[in-house]
Amino acid sequence: MTTVTDVAPSAPAKHRAEVATALPPARGQSFLKLVAIELRKSVNTRSGRVLLAAILLLALVAIGWQLTHLPPGAAGFDGFLGAASSGVMLLLPVIGVMAMTSEWTQRTALTTFTLSPRRVRVQLAKFLSAIVLAVVAMTVVILLAVAGTALAGAVTDHTTSYAGMGGQLAGAYLTIMLNVVMGAAFGAVIPQTAVAILVFFIAPTAWSLAGPALFKDNANWLDVWGAFGRIAERDLHGMVPETLTALGVWIVLPTIAGLWASSRREVK
Amino acid sequence: MITVENLTKRYGGTTAVQDVSFTVQPGSITGFLGPNGAGKSTTLRMLTGLTPPTSGTATITGKRYADLPNPGRVVGVMLDAAAQHPGRTGRETLLLNASLLGVPKGRVDEMLEAVGLTSAAKRRVGQYSLGMRQRLGIASALLGDPAVLILDEPANGMDPEGIRWMRGLLQDFAARGGTVILSSHLLGEVQATVDRLVVIGGGRIVANGALEELLAGSGTLVRGLDPIGLNQALTAAGLRLEPLQDGALRVDATAEQVGRAAAAAGQILIELRQSDGAGLEELFFQLTSAPVAEAA
Repeated sequence: MTTVTDVAPSAPAKHRAEVATALPPARGQSFLKLVAIELRKSVNTRSGRVLLAAILLLALVAIGWQLTHLPPGAAGFDGFLGAASSGVMLLLPVIGVMAMTSEWTQRTALTTFTLSPRRVRVQLAKFLSAIVLAVVAMTVVILLAVAGTALAGAVTDHTTSYAGMGGQLAGAYLTIMLNVVMGAAFGAVIPQTAVAILVFFIAPTAWSLAGPALFKDNANWLDVWGAFGRIAERDLHGMVPETLTALGVWIVLPTIAGLWASSRREVK
Repeated sequence: MITVENLTKRYGGTTAVQDVSFTVQPGSITGFLGPNGAGKSTTLRMLTGLTPPTSGTATITGKRYADLPNPGRVVGVMLDAAAQHPGRTGRETLLLNASLLGVPKGRVDEMLEAVGLTSAAKRRVGQYSLGMRQRLGIASALLGDPAVLILDEPANGMDPEGIRWMRGLLQDFAARGGTVILSSHLLGEVQATVDRLVVIGGGRIVANGALEELLAGSGTLVRGLDPIGLNQALTAAGLRLEPLQDGALRVDATAEQVGRAAAAAGQILIELRQSDGAGLEELFFQLTSAPVAEAA
């Protein structure tokens, strides 16, 4: 007998009766489980990990820069938070976009929706997992900003200031959540990653640039970046209807359209 | 058990699948055949809840796919082995599904071993060959210990050794009472694996039955010293026949009937046997190439 290089298993496959008793009884899929799985899916691919690492790295670099370029006066937490969170504000929505689009570009929707046929539930779980991820990432960034502020107080002769920290935190969390939901909504509407990311960044920016020229102050009604800015500052400048309208048009509307589209989209 | 009743799917003005009905019984492997664009994939997708039918129903163990609380525990599905995230490892891909199905992690390693991917488990799927992705897809389909398997082109990209392994696995699965439907373009492989056939052409079922019965319809092959004389003798005896290119005749009759008719006319036979023809391949073209005839 010659030796055979055998790639196939020599033992017969174990399935059905052999293991049937060993498996726990089948249960339905709780929404919490779907959220946990979607959360895991957004961090267990290489691209997901690279993005999270980039967010962390950007935060560290920004804090380092802030430490070495402190303005005169007290080293304020707000300065550190602003610097550290720019990376997360920019990149985390991309994870939101990809949570939606990668199912279609990588064609994993085929498996996802055969294992969980109720698509809207899966999509909602994706939205929620994106929010959870945003909160976790923002918390890490905030802790880094706190550490940066403390470090500034310890190694430089600046005094430290944590004035208005509560409000700043609320603004940061709220903005990142809105950002990531908006990203996910765009990803749900447009199933191609690159196009969705482009539209996500360009369309609102284009509006905030061109809108005021065309419509003067009325452009505020659709300026979502402006709305985010006001929310981050926790001061709506008396523009509550404008802010809500912008959020409605850029976040709520795409979310609903995305849920509708992706639950009907043909899985190829 | 799979029951498909009067399934129809229209896209705008075109009808992809029209009034398709068949059942797949437990303990059997059914081959689902048809040319590209005949409606095979559309039918399988309606069966697995991915595409809503225009009319008709498809049920698995008596329930519509979408009504199964955790489908992966009842039916293992592999519609396209290439549709896996290249950035995840093979093991991670299965762990995700295991979590959703509510089966322990040990089951994942068991399945990886069963399909021969243990050594590649920690590599990213992007580095897998198509054959390896097929194995991963099979592992994923078997993960929830389902009673039903729905596989689209499972042998695609596998080497002969892998194909033989897959055949053993499916026959073993069916022997344990499992229900299997698989589509394939590898007709030789289908012939060696399945018990029953459902053939679809132009969106309609053109044949549905046991493999043996469908292949048995090809009659008797006879060759005589005087082909023309034999042809006349058999025709005179009222037998339906079809001359083959090499001078033999294929007759819709038993060997005995042919022998008697030839003997009565004094024709000398040099070959007389059950016609095997080209088997499934010939049947396939017979059924699917003609402008779609009524269901057989």
